[in-house]
Amino acid sequence: MNAGAAHIRAENHAAAARRGWRAAAGREWRAASLTVKLSAVMLLAFYIFAAASPMIAPYDPARQWRTMPDCPPMRLHLAPPSDWSRGFLYAFPMRLDNPMARHYVEDRSRRTFVHLFYRGRLFTTAPGAPPFFLMGSENLGRDLFSRIVYGARVSMCIGLVGVAISFSLGIMVGAFSGMMGGYTDSAIMRMCEIEMSLPSFYFLLALAAVIPSGLSTTATFFLIVAIMAFISWAGFARVIRGMAASVRAAPYVEAARALGGSRRRLLFRHIIPAVIGFAAVNASLSIPGYILGESALSLLGLGIQEPAASWGNLLSQAMDPQTIAYFPWILMPGLFISAAVMAFNFLGDHLRDRFDPSNAA
Amino acid sequence: MADTDSGSRGRRLAFVAIAAAVATAICGCRVSRPRNDHAATQTLYDSMVSDPGTFNPVLVTDSASAVATGDMFESLTRVNPRTTLFEPGLAQSWKFSDGDKTLTFHLRHDVKWSDGAPFTARDVLFTMRVIYDPKIPNSMVSAMMIDGKPIAVSAPDDYTVVARLPRPFAPILSSMQFAILPAHALAGAYEAGRFNRIWGIDTPPDRLIGLGAFLMTRYVPAQLIAYRRNPDYWMRDEHGAPLPRLKGEVHLIVPDQNAQYLQFQSGMTDVYHPRPEEVWPLEQAAKRLDITVRKVGIDTGSLFFAFNRNPRHYVRGGVVDPRLKWFTDVNFMRALAHAVDKQGMIDLCYRGLAVPAVSDVSPENKIYHNPNLKDYDYDLEEAAQILDRAGYRMIRPGVRGDPEGHPLVFRLTTNTGVPVRDQMCAIFKQDLQQLGITVNYRPLDFITLVKALDSSFDWDCVLIGFTGTIEPNDASDFLRSSGNLHIWDPAQPKPATPWEAQIDHLMDEGTMVVDPYKRAPYYWQIQQILHDQLPIIETVRAVTYIAYRNTLENYYPTVWGFYHPEWIEFRAQ
Repeated sequence: MNAGAAHIRAENHAAAARRGWRAAAGREWRAASLTVKLSAVMLLAFYIFAAASPMIAPYDPARQWRTMPDCPPMRLHLAPPSDWSRGFLYAFPMRLDNPMARHYVEDRSRRTFVHLFYRGRLFTTAPGAPPFFLMGSENLGRDLFSRIVYGARVSMCIGLVGVAISFSLGIMVGAFSGMMGGYTDSAIMRMCEIEMSLPSFYFLLALAAVIPSGLSTTATFFLIVAIMAFISWAGFARVIRGMAASVRAAPYVEAARALGGSRRRLLFRHIIPAVIGFAAVNASLSIPGYILGESALSLLGLGIQEPAASWGNLLSQAMDPQTIAYFPWILMPGLFISAAVMAFNFLGDHLRDRFDPSNAA
Repeated sequence: MADTDSGSRGRRLAFVAIAAAVATAICGCRVSRPRNDHAATQTLYDSMVSDPGTFNPVLVTDSASAVATGDMFESLTRVNPRTTLFEPGLAQSWKFSDGDKTLTFHLRHDVKWSDGAPFTARDVLFTMRVIYDPKIPNSMVSAMMIDGKPIAVSAPDDYTVVARLPRPFAPILSSMQFAILPAHALAGAYEAGRFNRIWGIDTPPDRLIGLGAFLMTRYVPAQLIAYRRNPDYWMRDEHGAPLPRLKGEVHLIVPDQNAQYLQFQSGMTDVYHPRPEEVWPLEQAAKRLDITVRKVGIDTGSLFFAFNRNPRHYVRGGVVDPRLKWFTDVNFMRALAHAVDKQGMIDLCYRGLAVPAVSDVSPENKIYHNPNLKDYDYDLEEAAQILDRAGYRMIRPGVRGDPEGHPLVFRLTTNTGVPVRDQMCAIFKQDLQQLGITVNYRPLDFITLVKALDSSFDWDCVLIGFTGTIEPNDASDFLRSSGNLHIWDPAQPKPATPWEAQIDHLMDEGTMVVDPYKRAPYYWQIQQILHDQLPIIETVRAVTYIAYRNTLENYYPTVWGFYHPEWIEFRAQ
């Protein structure tokens, strides 16, 4: 009986919490501007790209159609009702008309049907049929859209992983240093300053160059993130240290100390919770830096290696002005990079407006 | 290690700088026909990628220095690029005697240095003394050693040079193609031990004493090198008029190829070597720009996948790495040769402007190229069958193993910054993936790559290019088992395999016969051996093009250099 009541109470609590969470989410959603809503939706879409790449990409991102390099994006046509037994959507296959110019013509005599929810993919063509390039193909005849979808895995995750590393490091070091004060504080902060004075991009280039060959793409990827995080934690630690130092003097921390609270308790119960809101806001604002950093490295050939795709290394083909002039669609990954970076910035700004205590004051 | 298109990091970084110019070009601002005063002043403008390292022709190691000094100095013999046979240069004739063991050069009497001193046999002897001097590092000396010994030369009179050889040595005419130095101007500095420091790039151009068709007038680092015609040049045209016909030459120094391309389009330069993707746009614009785009020929070099067969890398503590067994197994290598999609590489990487390479010697080397080799066709099924028969079977889906069950995985590298090579590696990797062979591809910067190849030996497979020359013995360091560029297993104390021993033997034999046509069979056989044993797998050779202003006349570029460059001139307007 007693246990049953407790059970019901617990369920009520859970439901209330759910309702509360939902209500809060609803409040936040209504409070957000259209830009912020769009940003959130876009980021969600990109993360779905990353999580479900094999289902969303129409083709294997490494598959090369060697007779179709630099093929322009194809137009999708709605099939007449009489053909609906074969498919609703079709495109005219492209034929390489002049290999030297990479000039294509639509082959109007044939159609390639684009099937939705087919063979475990969102959309694709039948195995033997000519391919459908939604965003064109790149210089090895690989489907650009599929590569962008797979590239989201690297480009969208690099920010999260990097931020996780640099912020846990920054918060720990900063809060500890601020709490300790005195010589320890000085020593740690001088170290941070030395770290900050390294010219970061060159440092990154040098570190990326010593990554041993023969590592798998995933390993290379995590090494690069680690390098980038290692470069950026120091500046953040300094800000946190300042906040921690001011919190340390606050009456409630004084009180906790007077009551005999251990250092660890002070750090985890009082100081870190006081700075975490600021940290979260800053985290979302520093993700774009990682996305751009990865593109810069990959652009220079030091990041993610072929045939794995990232938005940065997809864009490296666009280094050549000739290529941009003739095959403008290879700039498409750049569009995705700017969209993601802008979305993170809008969202981060919004979060700061809502949650940063220093802002609320 | 001569490499045709290494390193272009600089090019990439310069990208931003030219972005504005590029934007103009893309927006299609259709400028009218470019104008310049090059024809009026009879001055030919072209561009080079980097600054020269030295103006001292003996110390030249880089191509920029070779270009910078090329027109100022001359050698005893020169090659006719159309026939690939030797022609008189500063020596008006030569004769083999004493069973091909004595070579006598008769020098021209009418050649003067730019300071007025006559050119004599003393200059030839001095230059050879400098080249053989162990204190003077230079790239000529290795070609001038016969069985490790220098060539003994003497000068019975001022206009005769006699070379005595320990045995008949066919490459001697090619070896004697070094630029002759002025003894009267440099002997003093040489005796004083200052040779390595004279004629550096800080030397005022009027202090450089040459006898070539052009003399340097101005060098502005990172900008240009200018030349004026040598009024006392010895060569005359068919009417007895002095040559060269051009009044001057300017090499602009432009590290970025995109910028070179724009400069040519805007009329700042008169000549441009287009990349494959630029050939078609230039052909389209030929009329508007008043230019000719002409096919020059097939690349003289060789671009190939090499596989490491070096036990110093693969045998550690008596344990042999399985990769060494694969790469020395001719069946494995034959399967890989069938997996190189040369046509795909030609279409994807060269826009169709390339030909499959079968032999390590370019077909442009008309005498020494073996035309009878049969290429390994691109056929993944055939490759899979060869692997199956040789015991390399699928051990799980998508993974093939060797007869002992090790999965087939190896590393592939090349130098960074060359998109064509990245693409070729991506194609090779993709095809091997289909066969169940995993390739980990990672390009290395050029310095790191060279270190891996010649000292640490820590590599599995590399896509690398060598430049080609007409004289087949120039590849001695690559072909001989003792050579430092014998890339798959360099500097062997004694040949590791019977076929490497046979190549060494053929290299010796090939230098004994002086007549090029009688020599050729030895080198054809070497190409056959490499083709059968496959320490390297050839890929493709680019077809090179050149674009130049229509106002240029007598302009006959070939892959081996210009035919009669002294006749080039701008049409009178």
